[in-house]
Amino acid sequence: MSGGLKGRMAPLCSKVWHVIATLFAISVSASLVAAAETESFSNPAVEARLITAENGVGPDAASISAGLHLQLGEDWKTYWRSPGEVGLPPTIDWTGSENIAETDFLWPAPERFTAFGIENFGYHDEVVFPIRITLENPGAPARLEARVNLLTCSTVCVPQDFDLSLDLPRASGIDTDSATLISAFAARVPDEGGQSGIGIEAAHLDAERLALTITVRSDRPFEAPDIFPELGEGTAFGKPDIRLAQGGRLMWARLPVLAATPDLPDLRVTVTDTGRAATLQPAYAEVAPDPPFRIAASVPGLAELAWIAGIAFLGGLILNVMPCVLPVLSIKLSSAMKSGDQSPARIRAGFAVSAFGVLAFMWVLAAATLAARGLGLSVGWGLQFQNPVFLAVMIVVLVIFAANLFGLFEITLPSSWQTRMARAGGGQGYGGDFATGAFAAILATPCSAPFLGTAVAFALAGRAVDIAVIFTALGLGLAVPYLVVAAFPRLVERLPKPGRWMVVLKIVLGLALAATALWLFWVLAGVAGPDAAAWTGAFSLGGAALLALPRLSGRLRLSGAALSSVAAIVLAGYLSEANTPAASGATDWAGFDRAAIARHVSTGQTVFVDITADWCLTCKANKALVLDRDPVAARLREPGVIAMQADWTRPNETISRYLESFGRYGIPFNAVYGPGAPEGIVLPELLSSDAVLEALEQAGAGQVAAAR
Amino acid sequence: MNRERRNALLLFSGLAAAYAAFRIAPGFGREELVLQDIEDPAGFRRLTAGQSSSGFDPFVGLEPQKNNDDLEAAKVRVRQNICAALYYDRPTTAGEVPVASFSDYYCPFCRVQTKRLAEMEARQEGEIRVSWHELPLLGETSTLAAKAALAARNQGAYPAFHERLMRSPFRATPEYLQALANDIGVDHARLVADMNSEEVLEDLENSAALARIFAFVGTPAMVIGRTVVQGEVSERTVQAIIKREREEGWGSVCRVA
Repeated sequence: MSGGLKGRMAPLCSKVWHVIATLFAISVSASLVAAAETESFSNPAVEARLITAENGVGPDAASISAGLHLQLGEDWKTYWRSPGEVGLPPTIDWTGSENIAETDFLWPAPERFTAFGIENFGYHDEVVFPIRITLENPGAPARLEARVNLLTCSTVCVPQDFDLSLDLPRASGIDTDSATLISAFAARVPDEGGQSGIGIEAAHLDAERLALTITVRSDRPFEAPDIFPELGEGTAFGKPDIRLAQGGRLMWARLPVLAATPDLPDLRVTVTDTGRAATLQPAYAEVAPDPPFRIAASVPGLAELAWIAGIAFLGGLILNVMPCVLPVLSIKLSSAMKSGDQSPARIRAGFAVSAFGVLAFMWVLAAATLAARGLGLSVGWGLQFQNPVFLAVMIVVLVIFAANLFGLFEITLPSSWQTRMARAGGGQGYGGDFATGAFAAILATPCSAPFLGTAVAFALAGRAVDIAVIFTALGLGLAVPYLVVAAFPRLVERLPKPGRWMVVLKIVLGLALAATALWLFWVLAGVAGPDAAAWTGAFSLGGAALLALPRLSGRLRLSGAALSSVAAIVLAGYLSEANTPAASGATDWAGFDRAAIARHVSTGQTVFVDITADWCLTCKANKALVLDRDPVAARLREPGVIAMQADWTRPNETISRYLESFGRYGIPFNAVYGPGAPEGIVLPELLSSDAVLEALEQAGAGQVAAAR
Repeated sequence: MNRERRNALLLFSGLAAAYAAFRIAPGFGREELVLQDIEDPAGFRRLTAGQSSSGFDPFVGLEPQKNNDDLEAAKVRVRQNICAALYYDRPTTAGEVPVASFSDYYCPFCRVQTKRLAEMEARQEGEIRVSWHELPLLGETSTLAAKAALAARNQGAYPAFHERLMRSPFRATPEYLQALANDIGVDHARLVADMNSEEVLEDLENSAALARIFAFVGTPAMVIGRTVVQGEVSERTVQAIIKREREEGWGSVCRVA
């Protein structure tokens, strides 16, 4: 088809060419028409050619401005003079060239590529390396013979080795296209601080060579700065921790040293920012410059603490209506109703003890958090929900509770138990009340993560006092319904008398509990693998079924159910797969880099941002139900779509600031950027495939329009 | 309502719900692999999803072209028993899928792929076995690093060397090699001597010949059982191929030789 098109176009083309050729013949000598560039070397990875700004060597010209022009295929990259931990910079061997005294190969400012924790610096899409060529005999014709070696990588690394040659006869005149291209990229070559207004204030390498710390000052605020130190071939640096201060005019950066050689050359630091870059050679300072602000050890003001405690309190209150907590409150209330003959004092005491149970569990959690942090463990919210044994225990308890509510059996404890319990509580045991509160608090933890991301992240990063205050506020919020009843025990009397509606309510609540058990079962399948989940599910259902068999004797039923429950719990722990390979995502997530979003969008790509954390179960649900499944997973893997993921498991100032810019303080958070939506489309907390696809479509829309 | 019937109904719906939850639980979907049989060597096939390897000059290295006769000789040599050349002639137990990994110490994605394979091999002992091939395409330093690693193998230090080179940049200076030998605990003099030994050179030639035969355009590359993979692919894909090879029996191709 294209051949046919060409055939039709040919007469027209030749006419156009004729006109152009005539015009050229008038302005310059006809022999120079194609002199300013070489034939290009081309394969899917790269199209390379040598260009010169001049049409030839002018009279008395002592130098030539040339450039190595690389047009990289989609997803292909090539490297900077310091390529990073691994990689190879382009090199040119000029052997065979004529009338060339010296060449000066210039490196435009690089960008950072991070793939699976490996840092690389280089270029994608298009780059011109400007080359200043000094002639041996000014004004005499020259010949460029370039043997180019370069490494191109997408997911495969393909070395390229090719020759480009260019004859430069005596001629004057400028090739505008080439000249524009060369000067555009020459403008990207880092300067020495003049135009760019970038200067290094201090640089420090510690004696153990663990980290390089640098402070950079700029005459105008930094927009999206990056920093690339060079300390010889054998030295590699990790990803920098960059913090801006003083209205963005001061940049502090610390880079871990991954490898260093015994003899280090002088330090060279390249700082890049939107549209400007500088390469500087600072002297070392005696001491490491202090960061402008600390991220982890933020000491909040009283007002901030009160504000966050308020959020925690409110969050705790809201948790009561979450599906995983509501049944507990309902059971408590219905048990109070059933025994309507209880004295107000007994009701008050019972509910107060339940509230105390909530608080006690919260304090245990706070203490555990502090202890874990003291041991240097990574602390997350809702971490216990990643433990298969804990999950199995919860499933067993919930299944039995639900079965009880469905009326499958009545729990009739042996008489000896009843007397013991009666004795413990002075006639009316408070143990059950306390357990109810604690149970509500335990069930609340996974639900709280989506609401309380900020408060919890704050607490985990904070001092012991912060943790205590926030967890207490959270507990108080959760305990409010119990405290209200404790304050006004007569409220219970206002509730309607038991009757047929109670049966209906019990079924409804039983369904809520069963749903919770089902959800936990699903979590268990994700945490411990399908085998463990299947066995746990089977045994916990089996236990409930045994209890429901009316023909068996009570003792047999109880011991059978107990055995079955133990089996369910033990098997969950025993069969749990240490690491389920199936759970590893199909999408290759890029690390979160706020600065890179705009860059990607400017090249027409669509960026999907996912902020997640280990403790965020809603995030996990989004991942399992939407992001890791087709059609969304397939869409995210498509070329032109970059999936970025940020892990907020540990507090991270960069991510917090990013979320704040959207007025969000918690996760899950998902946004889509693209030519059609450069400011980003924020997706709802609970994702759906349709919503994600639609947003991707909308964000990518500009791209289609531009292509047309 | 009939109590027993209700019990049965509830139990049944519980089981049904559990089954449904099972089906929608994460990670149950199977990876779609697009495989294409290749003509030569017969019996092998190529993973075609993702990167296209067409349009490249087959196998350009950054080093001056090696002696073509040697390479042709090596091709004949490895063709006699391709599986032995790929998987180093080691006995494989049933269910263990061999993976031949081709990498260069200077190629960024090789580092990613190699780390991933090494982790998988450690985690799935008895299921995967990796044979490491050095395919230095990126010039003299690459070749030196590859030779050093192969020479270290004579002293049983290949894994240590490999790990070290995958962690830090390699510099081909005598001092660097001395320090490296000291760190890893190998005899430096022997290492340097072995770097140009017949054995090491033949090993490099074999890997280069295999790369030619399987038409790799660059690194990293893998042969998993009888599936040829060019470029870095996700662990999920590697696992899917391994599973498929185990199910289908990769050994069929190796008896053909």
